[in-house]
This record gives sequence, structure tokens and C-alpha cells, in this order.
Amino acid sequence: MSLIPGLGIVRGMALTLRRFFQPKVTHLYPEDPADISPKFRGRLQLLYDEHGTLKCETCFQCAQACPIECIDMGGVDTKGRYAVHWGASETYGERREESALRRAGRTVPDVAYEHWNAIDLGPVDAILHDADHDPGRLLEILEATQAAYGYLPVAALKRISFGTGAWYAMVYGTASYYDHLRFEPPAASSSGATPTGRGRAEADYLAGLDLVTGSGSKRPAGRAN
Amino acid sequence: MSQTRNAFDIPAHASADDPRVTLDEQIGVFEPIPPYPPRTEREAEFYTLRDGEMFVNMGPQHPSTHGVLRVVLKIDGEKVVDLDPVLGYLHRGVEKLCENADYHQAICYTDPLEYISSLFCEWSPVIAFEKLLDVQVPRRAEYIRVLSGELNRIASHALFMGWFALDLGGLTPILWSFIERDEIVEMLAALTGQRMLFNYFRIGGVNGDLNHEFMSRLGTWMSKATAQIDSNQALLNENEIFVRRARGLGTMDTATALGMCMTGPNLRATGVPFDIRRAHPYSVYPELEFDIPSRTEGDCLARYLLRMDEIRQSLRIIDQCLHQMPDGPVMAKLPRLIRPRPGRAYAAIEGPRGQYATYAISDGTDQPYRMRIHDPSFIHLQSVGLLTPGNLIADTMAIMASLDPIMGGVDK
Amino acid sequence: MAMVGRTWDRLTIPGKILAVVVPLGALLTAALALLIALIGGAVVQFLGDNLPLVRFLVAATAVLLMTIPSAFLIIYMEMKVIALMNLRYGPDRVGPFGSALSVVHGLKVLMKEDFTPTGVDVPVFTLAPVVVYMSSVMSLLVLPFAPGLFGQDFNIGLLFFFAMGGLSVVGLLMAGWSSFNKYSLLGGLRSAAQIVSYEIPLALSVVGVVLLAGTMSLNKIVLGQAGSVFDWYVWRQPLAFVIFFIAVTAEANRTPFDLTEADSEIVAGFATEYSGMRFGFFFFAEYVNVFIASGLTVALFLGGWNAPFNWPLPVTVGLDPGGLGIGLLLLIALGPPLAIVVLGLPFYLLNSRIKLWQALVIGFVLFNLVAVGAVLGLAFLSFDWVVGLLWFMGKTYVFVFTFVWMRGTLPRVRIDQLMGFAWKWLLPAAMLNLFVTAFAILVLKR
Repeated sequence: MSLIPGLGIVRGMALTLRRFFQPKVTHLYPEDPADISPKFRGRLQLLYDEHGTLKCETCFQCAQACPIECIDMGGVDTKGRYAVHWGASETYGERREESALRRAGRTVPDVAYEHWNAIDLGPVDAILHDADHDPGRLLEILEATQAAYGYLPVAALKRISFGTGAWYAMVYGTASYYDHLRFEPPAASSSGATPTGRGRAEADYLAGLDLVTGSGSKRPAGRAN
Repeated sequence: MSQTRNAFDIPAHASADDPRVTLDEQIGVFEPIPPYPPRTEREAEFYTLRDGEMFVNMGPQHPSTHGVLRVVLKIDGEKVVDLDPVLGYLHRGVEKLCENADYHQAICYTDPLEYISSLFCEWSPVIAFEKLLDVQVPRRAEYIRVLSGELNRIASHALFMGWFALDLGGLTPILWSFIERDEIVEMLAALTGQRMLFNYFRIGGVNGDLNHEFMSRLGTWMSKATAQIDSNQALLNENEIFVRRARGLGTMDTATALGMCMTGPNLRATGVPFDIRRAHPYSVYPELEFDIPSRTEGDCLARYLLRMDEIRQSLRIIDQCLHQMPDGPVMAKLPRLIRPRPGRAYAAIEGPRGQYATYAISDGTDQPYRMRIHDPSFIHLQSVGLLTPGNLIADTMAIMASLDPIMGGVDK
Repeated sequence: MAMVGRTWDRLTIPGKILAVVVPLGALLTAALALLIALIGGAVVQFLGDNLPLVRFLVAATAVLLMTIPSAFLIIYMEMKVIALMNLRYGPDRVGPFGSALSVVHGLKVLMKEDFTPTGVDVPVFTLAPVVVYMSSVMSLLVLPFAPGLFGQDFNIGLLFFFAMGGLSVVGLLMAGWSSFNKYSLLGGLRSAAQIVSYEIPLALSVVGVVLLAGTMSLNKIVLGQAGSVFDWYVWRQPLAFVIFFIAVTAEANRTPFDLTEADSEIVAGFATEYSGMRFGFFFFAEYVNVFIASGLTVALFLGGWNAPFNWPLPVTVGLDPGGLGIGLLLLIALGPPLAIVVLGLPFYLLNSRIKLWQALVIGFVLFNLVAVGAVLGLAFLSFDWVVGLLWFMGKTYVFVFTFVWMRGTLPRVRIDQLMGFAWKWLLPAAMLNLFVTAFAILVLKR
């Protein structure tokens, strides 16, 4: 408080007017990205090592250690469908067992993972031999493979990639380009009303869950156990 | 339909024809009357309106109750006759959660108690656990703790200045003080890895040594900090409107303040130079030179000015820390799984709002058997009921802001 | 029918729009022509007989239309200036320097749900924003913008302004009372107490000016300040100027006297329960009030549209376009292309990378700039109202800036301090000013 009434107000106004012309401190975010320190721990992303490989080994230890169980793990399969591995909170126990099995190297009877399951590669090898391991005849090979298996298993695609020398991405791209090539067994083989899209994935998931828990159809709808 | 009048024996499903249901009930008016019969005499007296009085339910979504505090004001015109704070909207049961986590995880739970000054919320449980374990913290770690803690104190007090001004109606100081806070928070993020809930102090030391980025940011900031903070204060300290509003408002005398168990700046503003850093020294504070500012007025202006003085003292401490920083490890050698011997420990530290204290009991397992957290905000918020009645509605905000409570700490 | 449908389907979107708009426009034009032919003469006759009515209607419409862009401008100014004082950038995304953000805000307010809460007094709740907005607009009606450019030149202009200011209290009280919310009620009552109290020093401080000018017509008050900067009433009534500025700040509910919508105390005051365009009306009215407060300060104390020094007298342009005869036609036909070529050719000749058509485009742009500049300059020199309007707006926006600046700096006063200041300080000071002025006039003029 000064002697002259109002002088403080005038000084304050002079200060704001000075600030009016001073350089501004706001970061214009999208143009001027935030200066994040190397030690910053707040990134919501999986980290890569110096070779560009994902550091996450899907060991689920983070999900188990998380005190408030907010960590969920999921992945994208070859058809671009997103599946949560860890699942609903009611099924944590089963999921943990399942993940332990998978980490132990044993197979888990889960429909969502059938694409990765080992298959008999004999027919593919025969087809590759017939086609002279020629990547230029990729479409022919893929069609023959589908005729042999009924669909294109991931293992077969990998074998084709390995045998012809074509990149897996190229094989997969070719296979996914053509409508008549499919990555799943044809719909006629699945029973009853076929759920589509996301519902299909859920049904697969639940069916796999039934296989894991062995509870079969006894489980009431909408709630595990 | 409203459930508010159920205290007076009106069934919740009463129809509109029921003569006991007033017009207010039919249109769903919300009166802040609790849906149960009064439990105490005080409650019965408070929730009875005299002629010309009315309730105003302020919060939990009110813009200036600093979080989810709900205050039921009984007003007569603009004058506050009485008030009833309703707490618990942010209750998380942190103490109980800590009992179910191991010692390292417990620190992470105490972190968001007073989210404006997280480091202090970590500091007191860490000291308590170290006492339980009887572990010697390396000196460099202690210096780093003091350094980062004082930085956090400045950030908290700088934000207080903006909030106080905002509750008095000034738009600009809050943004200016956020500039200071952002600088500090950025450099603490370079040190600790997080901007808000640092989770930096570990049992037996700190998580990571000082790094180059932190030091360069700190140096840049220290060179201009004093001038900048003084310049920010010039807007308010000389402003007649501000001074006239804050002076003589919410005056607390020493005896009442001591009787209310107040600590920190709110107590020092009443003339008691009590500071745990000096009274019961911990860490390396005995080796550092600083004054304990105190004022005798005990009003909002004194509380405000006192915090501004504390910023200068904190800058002094930071300067000394940087000059006296010893070399050495920043973490004591400890097993990964901690099982202290059965016992109990108490640790109090001086936070920006007053005394943070932790009382921990160990039963020999890897989890604390009991953990009690003493939080200054809760203690200080009690005095709102003492200071506010008789003042105006606008002053309620100013008094509450001047006590600087954080609802995360009040509700725990 | 099917053919019509197919044709319709084949049309592009602009085609569809045109196919609807063109026949509709033709139809409407025909109807309008018919209407004009039938009753146009009578209407013109009637309007010609009642020119004051026409003038009032035109002025009211013009003022109503003027409030919206000026409110947008002031809202943008407030956002930007306060941001710059806060060391922020403020709006900078929509439009050049974010200048269209207030327009976007306006559109947003238009599109939001117009919500009427339970328990409100619906007619009063609905009418309140209209009353507040209309009282602001009506105050604008007596403001002299430039010589000859004002809504109405009442001989009781000032009184009309204060009456309209009083009417806005009614609107705020209506909003506060009908909203069925205690914050609104408190806000409404605060505004009533505040505006009624500050009307008195406001009116008393102006009485000195009225005594000096000898009239209450704002137009004549401004005319009385013609001449140089030293003829302005602010030099003869400095105390009244200060009192008036403080009181008018309180009247416009601006910081530090914005108690009616003190967001840290009573959430948003009387506007708490309002949403959508009803809130928009309150919001607009506030900024129109800022404009009016600034404009009135300028008109009463700072010479209105008078230039601060002896502006060169308006040059009468002695060019009679009709006298040129066929030359005018030639000028209109050949002038622009010639100017474009002349202005664009240097670019073509001096820079080898610029192609001819690019040079012509540059020439076209330059020609437009030059032509617009020439026309504006001619208008500036020929019509004294353009000069007056520019001076008035310049001065007014200086005061608008001051209001915004104060909002960026000052905290809010308390209600008892506010009332005490009005009754204990401003009112005696205004009385003193009045007596001194009256005494001085008596002594000096006799």
C-alpha cells in the first residue's frame, strides 16, 4: 500500500502492460512438440530396444504387479482384429494359468490362436516343389494351398515365404488382396448362426475359454463362472 | 422425487397429492439437508433455518472449493451465518490400501495425497520406513531430497499465490504462477521421470542421481527465479483492492491456532516460528542456513505474505544444497524384499502446508501392519468453520484459499 | 416421374442446389415484383409521411445489426489481450490470429441446447435475456458515432441512457429470480444493489458536463467539444471523468466490479442456469455494454468524434463525373485493364521467373488495392462522418482496451467495499464536483 491511493493499481496495470509485450511462454503444441526428458516415465507405449525390437515379451508380469489391475494386454492378429489377451476381470485366474502355460511353451487350446498352431506342412512343401519355389507364381501357390487346407494357415504362409524367398509381408499382402483367399476355415464348417465381425471374435474367444476352463456349455450366458 | 425431506418422515414414494409434500418437493428442489435425522445437537441446530436465512450448497462442483470440498453455507443475505463442511468425496482409503501393499508400493499410494506437493507425501513415509529398517541414507541422497523438496515447496507456494488471487477475482496471477510451477515441474520431471506424482524417494535413498538435463534447467531457472517471482508478486502485494480484501480477514490468534493443532505457514502467520525443519530436524536441514519467517497478524494477508517469504528461503536452501552437494551413492544397499523387524516408527516433516507425519507399525512381514498419515490440510480445513461465520460469501473463498487445503490430503 | 428422379440423381451437389435455388429465386422475385406493383406505392406514401418512424426503424435495425460484430470484436479482444497479458498466445487457430474464434463461439452458443431447468418461472426466465439485450441495444441508439450518424438525437439523450441502464437491472433481476437457483438469486440481487447504487454517482458526475454544455442531447454535447484537444470536457471536469469511468465500469459489470457474475463466489451469477443462445444474449449484452460504456465516456468527456487537433477541413472534391461525358465511359472501360497492365508489367519485365499471367494477376491485386485505397481516401476526405467515425471508434476502442486491461490486472472488490465506495466516496465526490462546476459557471459567466 502506497501513500497515494490507487498507485498500486496503476503499478499493477503498468506491469500487465509490460507483460503484454513480452515474449510468450506457451508451447504451440502440435507445431512445437514438448521437450520431454529422456528419463520421463509417463509414456503410454511399449519401448523398443536399440535394434528396433519390441522390448515387451508379453510376460504379463506388469499386469500382475499392477496394484489396481488397470493393465490389460492385447494384440492384433493377421486379420487386423484386436483381441484382449487378459480378458474380463472375472477370468483373471484362468487367464493367468493360460499365460503361464503359453510361457512354458505348451500350446493352449484357444481359437484365437489357432492361426499360429503348428500344422502339417507336407502339402505346402509339395506345392512349393511343384511350383519350383518361384515367387512369381505366388498366386498359384496360394490357391493350391487353400485347395489343400481349405484356408490359408499362418504357418503355411510362413513356409511359403521361407520357401520362395518372398517377404512374409508380400505373401500376406497377396493373400489378403484376393477375395477368394481366406485365412479362416470356410463358414460352412462352423456350426449354427455364424456371428460376424467382432461378435465372431467374441464367440471364438468364449469358445476357447470354454475349452480352457473345461466348463463347456454349463456356463451361464454373459458371465464367466 | 427428492429424498431430502425424509428426515421428517415423508416416504420417498409420497405422491404429489400428499399434503406433507411441499411444492419444492414436487419440482425436485435440492435442499442440502441430510437424508437422515440429525445425529448431533450441532447438526440439528445447523439444519434449522431461522427467519431470513437460507442454505447455499457450495460444492462439490463449485469452481473455487479447490477440489471436491462441499460446504453447506447458511447465509443471511450476503453474510455467512454458519457453515458445515462435508468431506469424503475424494476418500480412497489410502491408509488401508497401504496396509495391503508392500513397503515400496505404499510410497506410491501416499504420493497423490497432496498432489500439489507430492514429494513431501513421499518423504515422511520414507523416513518412517527407514527408521523401521534402521537404514542409513547416503548423504548425497539426503541433499538431493532436500533440493527437490524445496523446489516442490516453491512450486506449491507459487501455485498458492495464483489460487488465492483467483479466488479474489484476479485472472492473471494464476497463469503467471503456473509458468513458474511448470518450469519447476519440468525440471523435476527431468530428475524424477514424472511431472506430478513423482514417486522419486525410495526407502534408503532416491531413484536416480542428478542428471545433466535437470541441472541445466535448474541453473537457467535459478538465474531468473528471484526476479520473476518478485515481479509476479508486485501485481498483488501493492494492489489496494487485494490488500484491502485480504487484510484483517480470517484473523487467527496464536492460542486458537495452537489449540486447533495448526502447523506450517498458517501457524507461523500467527506469530509462532515453529518449523519442524528446525524444531525436530531431519535430513540435512541442520547443516543448512535459512530463516523461519513469521508474522504476527494472523490474517489472510499475513498467510499470503508468509508463503512468499518462504519462497525466498527455499531459494536460499536450494543455493546452499547445490554448493554443498557431496559425492557418493544415492541409494543405500537394501534387499529387494523388505521385511523390517516388528516395531513402530513416527516421522514428521515440514511440508509446504505444515506437518506431514507418518506413523507406521511393522509386524515383520513385507507389508506395514498399520499406517497412519497425518495431513495438515485436514487440520487446517477445520478452522474454516471458526474463521468464516460473520464474513461474506466472497470471504469464505478467500479464507479457504488462504489456508491452502488440498482435498486429496483432506479426504485421503 | 422416374425420369425426373434419374435426372435429379445425376446432378452434382452444386447442381442440385442450383436446381432448387434458381427457380425458387425466380418465383420469389416475381412475387416480390407483384407485391411492389400492387401495394408498393401505398407503402412508400405511408413511409414518406412518417419519416421519423422510418428513421427510428432503420436506426434500430442498424444498431441491432451493429451490436453483433462489435460484440464479436470485443470478445476476441478480451480473449487475446488478456492472453497476451498472461504471457499466453490466446486464440490463434481459427482465422488470422484467431480472430474468428469469437464468431465460432457465437455459432457454438447458437447450436447448444436451449435448456430450461425444472422449477423455473418459464415466461420470466425466457424474457430476461431479451430484456437485458434490448436495453443494451436501446442505449446504443442515442450514442453519436459521427456527425449525422446516430440513431436518435433525443434532447434527453443522457436521461434515456440512464433509463435504459436501469431497465437492464430489471432484466438481471428477472434472470436471477426466475432461475430457481440460489447463486442466480444472489447474482441478481447483487446486480440490483450494485447498479442502482452506481446510477447515482454516474448521473451526478454527468450533471457537470450537462451544465457546461447546456443540453442533455449527446449530439450537442459532442458538438460543444469541437475544436482542439483542450476543448474536451475532460480538462474541465477531471474529477467527473474519474467518477464516471469508475461508475460506468460498475454499470457494465466489469472487473473489478463484476460481482454479479463472480465465478469464484457465485458460479456465474444470474446466468448460472442459462445455456445456449439465451446465455449468448447475456454474453453479448455484457460486451455491448462495454462498448456503450466506452463510447459514452468518449462522447461525454473526450470529444466524441472530434479530432484532437485541427483536422484539415474536408476537401470538397470538385470532380463532377457527369461533366466528363463520353470520357467517363472510356475511363470506366479502359482504366482498369490499362492500370492492371501498367501495374503488372514491371514484375514481368524485372523478374524473369514470373510469367505474364502471373504478372497480370499481381497487377490485378495491386489495382484493387490502389482503387480501394483511392476510394476510401476520397471518402475520408470528402465525408466528414468517415473521419468522425474513425476518430470515435479509435477512442472508444482505447477505452475498451482499458476495460479489458483492468480485467486482466485487478482482483474483484467485495460487496460491502463496493457499496461503501459508491456511497462514501463517489457520491460525495460527485456532489462536490457538481457544486464546484455550478459555482464556477455562475462566477465566470456572469
